[in-house]
Amino acid sequence: MSKKALVVDDDKNNLMLEKDLLEVAGFEVFEAENASDGIAMARREKPDIIIMDVRLPDMRGPEAARILRQDKETFAIPIVFVTASVMAEGREELDEITNSGFIGKPINTRTFAKEVSQFIL
Amino acid sequence: MKDDNKTKRQLVHELTELRSQNAELKKSITGGLSTELVIEEARRYAESIVETVREPLLVMDADLKIISANRNFYRIFNVTPDETIGSFIYDLGNKQWDIPKLRDLLEEVLPEKEAFNGFEVDHDFQDIGHKSMLLNAREIYRKDIGSKMILLAIEDITERREIENGLKKAHEDLTVLAAELERTARVKSEFLANMSHELRTPLNSIIGFSEVLYDEAFGPLNEKQKKYVNNVLTSGKHLLLLINQILDMAKVEAGKMKLTVSSLPMRDLLVEISLLFSDMISKKKLELLLEIAEDLPHIEADDLKVKQILYNLISNAVKFTPEGRTIGMRAKRVDSEIEIEVWDTGRGIAPENMEKIFEGFFHVDAPYSYVTEGTGLGLPLSRKLVELHGGKLTVESRGLNKGTSVCFTLPIVSSKELWDE
Repeated sequence: MSKKALVVDDDKNNLMLEKDLLEVAGFEVFEAENASDGIAMARREKPDIIIMDVRLPDMRGPEAARILRQDKETFAIPIVFVTASVMAEGREELDEITNSGFIGKPINTRTFAKEVSQFIL
Repeated sequence: MKDDNKTKRQLVHELTELRSQNAELKKSITGGLSTELVIEEARRYAESIVETVREPLLVMDADLKIISANRNFYRIFNVTPDETIGSFIYDLGNKQWDIPKLRDLLEEVLPEKEAFNGFEVDHDFQDIGHKSMLLNAREIYRKDIGSKMILLAIEDITERREIENGLKKAHEDLTVLAAELERTARVKSEFLANMSHELRTPLNSIIGFSEVLYDEAFGPLNEKQKKYVNNVLTSGKHLLLLINQILDMAKVEAGKMKLTVSSLPMRDLLVEISLLFSDMISKKKLELLLEIAEDLPHIEADDLKVKQILYNLISNAVKFTPEGRTIGMRAKRVDSEIEIEVWDTGRGIAPENMEKIFEGFFHVDAPYSYVTEGTGLGLPLSRKLVELHGGKLTVESRGLNKGTSVCFTLPIVSSKELWDE
């Protein structure tokens, strides 16, 4: 059975690219364009991994992650943040979230699916 | 009686003695001059003091009528002796001297204190304009005329005050300007940080999609398609490098670039970096000469930044050296630093361009060549990164087509303030 991945990104191009790369690598991919849709989708589909943009239109990625961590249905799902922000202060915020990691933008299309897989326990 | 007679004679004698002593004494005091001459001498003595003093000086009687004034008083306040001597001070120059503060000073302060120093008075005079004056005054009692005399020294500090006020104003202006510059610098670096984020998002798509296409993940491309999509990919990556370097420059300039210092095995690091270029070097049939001292020590520096410096310099050497020639790297310890030199036998730098190469975006080449040949920011950024470590970076070239040598130093032990908190 293929692994389920949820991609949350408000940029449709990123969403499409990440979806395509994960599908080529054999994932079943679900998409959401904002945090609330992403959280609802996570509760419904219980994906093996969530790939999330740090800047989302309705709330910041880390905030969405904290909501997911408080829900017993979703608290254990690993979260990978995709961020273009290279500022160190942004990273501290991400480090506080358990079972999470980050991938810098622009993503390396040749290694993206592999990098994501490494976060799945 | 006999005794009385003797005493009287003695007294007369003593009186004669005393008289002659008194005359002697008088003579010694006056230098043998008559009393009139002594007074005349004293007057001239006083007058020459009054005339010698640079400051305007007034001598007044107890009714504040002017007895005398010195030349500088007439000169600075543009009045004649005729209208001055004998006049009431407040009537001078069409009553221009009727200054409330001066009245206060002469009529209230002086009678009480007999002297005052450094009393500042500002006044706008009709014909000579604004004057700032520093007043000193003394009250002298003159026995000979049985009345008081007043000495008033007036220092003209108009110019000094103007300079002081100018300096104060300039200082205030500078403070405002400094704050404004600081704000501008902050806005600039914030703008660059935001801009780089905004630019990376679409770049993510450009690089990502073209890479996927180039890898033919969703089906094969014909030769032309593959070449074009590779052009998109290369340009996208070039743009990304530019954005990253601009952001780095902005961070260094805003003092926000922090070093993550660790102990670096420099010998291994230099070899490792040079290996990254082996493909490019063999493609251009270049020869790479490595001269790394056996005893090259470990240094305390930021691993990524040192690699970034070396990468920039070696890629310049590779880029600007024609096929079949030699490039090289030397490294040795010099006192408490290590010195690394990256040299080539390429196109070199004309003396007139020596400083321009650090200004950023400077290309000695023809236009368009930069699309494939770097950003023009590599060298200035490298210098900034070296300086951030406490080292120096210098460039030498014997001229066009005579090769270039970039030499930089890095301290072996990093100073503590460079460490990331």
